[in-house]
Amino acid sequence: MPPVTIDGTSGITTPMYGGAITANAVTPSVNMKSRIINGAMVIDQRNAGASVTADTGNPYTVDRWVSISSQNSKYTIQQNAGSVTPPVGFSNYLGITSSSAYTVGAAEQFLVRQQIEGYNIADLNWGTANAKTVTLSFWVRSSLTGTFGGGLYNSNGTRSYPFSYTISSANTWEQKSVTIAGDTSGTWQTTNSTGVSVGFGLGVGSTYSGTAGAWAGTYYSSATGAVSVVGTNGATFYITGVQLEVGSTATSFDYRPYGTELALCQRYYQNSYNFGNSTSSTANENVVTTTAWSDGNAPWQGMFVVNMRSAPTVTLRAKGSTTTGQITSSGTARSASADYISNKSVGYIGVTSGTANGYSQYMFELSSEL
Amino acid sequence: MTTYKLIKNIFAEITTVERNISGIICSIPFDLANTDYQTFKKEVLAGAELQDADGNVMTQEQADKFIASLP
Repeated sequence: MPPVTIDGTSGITTPMYGGAITANAVTPSVNMKSRIINGAMVIDQRNAGASVTADTGNPYTVDRWVSISSQNSKYTIQQNAGSVTPPVGFSNYLGITSSSAYTVGAAEQFLVRQQIEGYNIADLNWGTANAKTVTLSFWVRSSLTGTFGGGLYNSNGTRSYPFSYTISSANTWEQKSVTIAGDTSGTWQTTNSTGVSVGFGLGVGSTYSGTAGAWAGTYYSSATGAVSVVGTNGATFYITGVQLEVGSTATSFDYRPYGTELALCQRYYQNSYNFGNSTSSTANENVVTTTAWSDGNAPWQGMFVVNMRSAPTVTLRAKGSTTTGQITSSGTARSASADYISNKSVGYIGVTSGTANGYSQYMFELSSEL
Repeated sequence: MTTYKLIKNIFAEITTVERNISGIICSIPFDLANTDYQTFKKEVLAGAELQDADGNVMTQEQADKFIASLP
């Protein structure tokens, strides 16, 4: 009987019924090679591809990516804004379009970032002598050229690593990578709070800009001298394929099954809205229905689709309505609030003057973002 | 403008707070890991309006005392 062989050409060859079977010679699947979730900008549960105006409320855009703005309405942000062809191998990107020519103040910042949960970076050993080197890679395209900036930082703003990269050709996708020696100092959370944040600057003032390529003992979200996207009216900045991985080399993008990527996102945000519907949709297919109790309050519809990072903030809307803080009780919108909220479910919905034993209908959002 | 109102549940307990940002209302659990809960405590201590479960606006002293009693 032939032996089992493993090599880099044929893969794994093993005897079978007197013959042999050879597995494909492929790169092994590595779970969570990239610590970034939704790096290919595929999942957009909240907006379903609709444009969002960035404001000081710091709205989320595509899942896991938050827009940070010191001023209202300086740019819009949208999945596949501008409808350009994504880089080969990608179907989506996150697009920013500047709404004015704004001069960023010293203590202002405009950026898009992802906060990575501590559990997902615990093995990096940052803050210790065994800190691992990581590489950030991404595809980027802008109507502007020059040196752009971003940063990695901890949750309490005491450690940061500004980085820079150059966009050479306007309106052309370019792949960039930045290798970062792990930080041996500072405090880096390793449980369910923010471990590491990764941000891309769109215009950052001098207070939050530091020397690229070195760790600093303060919060810098970008590199000194970086291009300001919000400084040019109509300027565009598109990004996708964002990956943060252990090692000093950028490797191929860590594609995950759509369902896996969605579930990873749902640890931080989930809703009742039908696929393709934004939370401004009033369509009936977004609604869940339960039977009210004899006191008029409503049971929750079931367990969350995945356990959430923490007990989430709950937003309720009545059937066919965009008004929040209400559900429908036997056909009438009533004030309502969620109670006994855990990371797995909601205990019940308290309804003001709810109809006893009637039907309750509502749409919901659950957020436990970092 | 952001205001907060405590919610009394069917067992007369207060385990959530309702946040109202310009008419956008949500329920925030008293969970230390929830970032909205962290923000709620900071904002009330900084002077944001907090109403009791009956809708009465708390004085800053009352609000501070309540926040101090939370996890």
